[in-house]
Amino acid sequence: MFETGVRQFRLALGMTQGRRLDPRNVARLVDDVLATLAEFGEPGADAAELIEGPMSSPEARLEVTNNSLRRTARRLSSQSPFYARRFASAQVDPAKLDVARLRTIPVTRKQDLIERPEDFRCTDVPAYLATRTTGTTGRPAEVWLSRYEMELWPALGALASVLRGELLPGDIMQVNISSRATAATHLAANSCRLVGAGWRPLGIVPPEASLEGLAEGGATILFTVPSYLAELVTAARCRGMAAGDFRLRRLVVGGEVLSASLARAATRTFGVPLVEDPYSMTEILPITGRTCSQAHQHHDLNLGLTELVDLDTGEPAAPGALGTLVITPYFPYRDCTPVFRYDTRDVARCLPDTSLRCELAGIPATSQILGKADHLLRVPGGDVVTPRQLIEAIESLPAEPWPARYRAAAHDGRIRLTLPASAIADCGEAEARRHFAAAGLDIDLDIVGSDQAASLRRTRSDLHETTFASQRAFAGA
Amino acid sequence: MSVPIFPIPMWEVSLTLFLVITTGVTVICAGALAYFRRVRMERPAVGTFNTRDVVILLIFIGVLPFVYGWLPVPLVTCLLAVTFAAALYIGYRPLLGSVGIWLGIGLLFGFNIWSSHHVMGTIPGWQVWYTEQSIMVGLGVIAVCNLYLQGGMKLRHVAWLSLGLAFYDVLFAAYYPLTGRLLARYITHPLTPVLGMRFGEVDYAVGLGDLLVYSLFFVAAYKAYGARAAAVAAGVIVVMGGFATAFIPFLFNLENANLDTLIPAQSLFGPAAFVAYLWMKRHYGRERTMAEYLASQDGAAAAPQVEQAPAPEPASI
Repeated sequence: MFETGVRQFRLALGMTQGRRLDPRNVARLVDDVLATLAEFGEPGADAAELIEGPMSSPEARLEVTNNSLRRTARRLSSQSPFYARRFASAQVDPAKLDVARLRTIPVTRKQDLIERPEDFRCTDVPAYLATRTTGTTGRPAEVWLSRYEMELWPALGALASVLRGELLPGDIMQVNISSRATAATHLAANSCRLVGAGWRPLGIVPPEASLEGLAEGGATILFTVPSYLAELVTAARCRGMAAGDFRLRRLVVGGEVLSASLARAATRTFGVPLVEDPYSMTEILPITGRTCSQAHQHHDLNLGLTELVDLDTGEPAAPGALGTLVITPYFPYRDCTPVFRYDTRDVARCLPDTSLRCELAGIPATSQILGKADHLLRVPGGDVVTPRQLIEAIESLPAEPWPARYRAAAHDGRIRLTLPASAIADCGEAEARRHFAAAGLDIDLDIVGSDQAASLRRTRSDLHETTFASQRAFAGA
Repeated sequence: MSVPIFPIPMWEVSLTLFLVITTGVTVICAGALAYFRRVRMERPAVGTFNTRDVVILLIFIGVLPFVYGWLPVPLVTCLLAVTFAAALYIGYRPLLGSVGIWLGIGLLFGFNIWSSHHVMGTIPGWQVWYTEQSIMVGLGVIAVCNLYLQGGMKLRHVAWLSLGLAFYDVLFAAYYPLTGRLLARYITHPLTPVLGMRFGEVDYAVGLGDLLVYSLFFVAAYKAYGARAAAVAAGVIVVMGGFATAFIPFLFNLENANLDTLIPAQSLFGPAAFVAYLWMKRHYGRERTMAEYLASQDGAAAAPQVEQAPAPEPASI
């Protein structure tokens, strides 16, 4: 107990002073939490403060934010060639930077990262692991991570997870994301190692192989992407599998829009109370967002700053308006290839200017992610149709066409939605139009053959990884 | 041939000491157990008592007498005041609230300091001082005992602690008599960490540390294995902590003209407690965790009132 107090003090001191944290200290704190859980069954009453930080007052939050921004900007101006130039051209003094003056610094776009990746690398840190974005929205960006980051993030993640009861000894986490998502798989593996949980990395393999892992393999946590979850739900239903066949207690997805209809089906099929849909992105690691029971997206306060920037004006989004998430991970949490004011192009709506009443009300929030900014459809009258609106409407069609395959474009002031024939197989075109109208979508439908479905919209589940089990000719050779 | 010069026979001194120790231990152990069963102390978000804490505690206990011996008496009083105030505040704020606990601490300390300077010229004065002193020490011991046990201290830790204190007591009572010197230097000053009473010309007292170890052993045994184990622990405490400690001077004729014999009680109790722990471990199996203990209490509380809920016992019984 004495040592735990010292470790917590060291962690708090490092966080407030902005010095590099000792990942081993955090890892030992994970052990302390596990010992606490073993003895008491739950952490003490102040556990939430340990995870979220004592930042319930707006004044304290602003002070921490300003200090963290200055610290991060100071380091980037001296160690990152890209940001040294950017701060100089914006005539920004990192020592005087604060939230109010932040807008004088232009946002960083993905194109910058793709074109000049070496300019983003800090010169004082050796690179350890390269990770790439999936590339579903275009050319992938490569981000180098340091050994420090790859030790610190799993430790911080494991600490928060055990304190929240999200990952516990004896759990088995099955990971069905692209095996090339090196950072995410590395983080999952090391978090499991620190907690004493099992880790089964399968990748985007044929759904039948994954279902075996979920059923006979005894997985208790599934981490995947919504499109692959859709394939799993469909495959499980085809095999007549139901909640009683699985031991899952948590189902976590990310990286794509999760529709309410798919989430409902997944909870019924796999017997979990809800599908968790946290927000994360390779470029802005280790920042994450969490969804609450009222479908808000709550953004991490401790590790970085999340702004919601109006899509047209570049100013903070007004209540009710759409904006793009612009994220700045703080030093010392982001080390090797840091970004500052990174425009994720993930769109969310600014919540009304009233106090939140959800279980995460102390943490700032936006609406759920509504899709990528470049996929918004603007229609006459200033209305905007978001990818989430389309996916929600398509995936709730009677045929349950998961994952939604569609193409949408604005033509002459109207939206033309292209769907595969299989999507409206159970209702017909007229009924489908009524369905979309009921969802507030006045659209023209264009139906193509089901064989063209995969070409309409790329999803992460399209990144198939083969196995010998799925290629029996090779297996028998 | 030597002629006895003592005002009362040695067996009577031993018997009185035994009664004082037994009375004090009984009240404190019962109080600590009642507190443990009824009051939940706040605990930190993360952290549970572990073996390294025992080592740290032993080092602290080993160093503290030197600090006390080196510091001027007023500073020692200040240190003791901070220690007692912290223990009482942590232990009784859940029951009395912030205002009530500071009022209580103020009254206890105020009366203790006043009585240390004004009432000790007579035997009844000494008795008043000892009574007030014993109340404060007893409340402090109950609080600290629960702070440790509700913080995750196990019977295993208590056993090792008492074994370590056995060596400590032998060292500092027999070979390097620091404890006796400290007591002789500090007794009659405010906040003396002893529980006791004066009868006639003789003081009968037991140290705060001894009481803490006894209460820890008793309540930890209850938490770990239930009521039967607590009864075994109580037997060990009475026999080794009370009877043996009180009658050693009589049996081995350890008497001097001042009747201020200091018995290293832990050197007798520590090994016995450790052996008792090993026996319980072998007999009852794994200790209950705090969570398991609380779950067993919830189960007992939920049982119908007309039936006596069975004492929670491990599965190996």
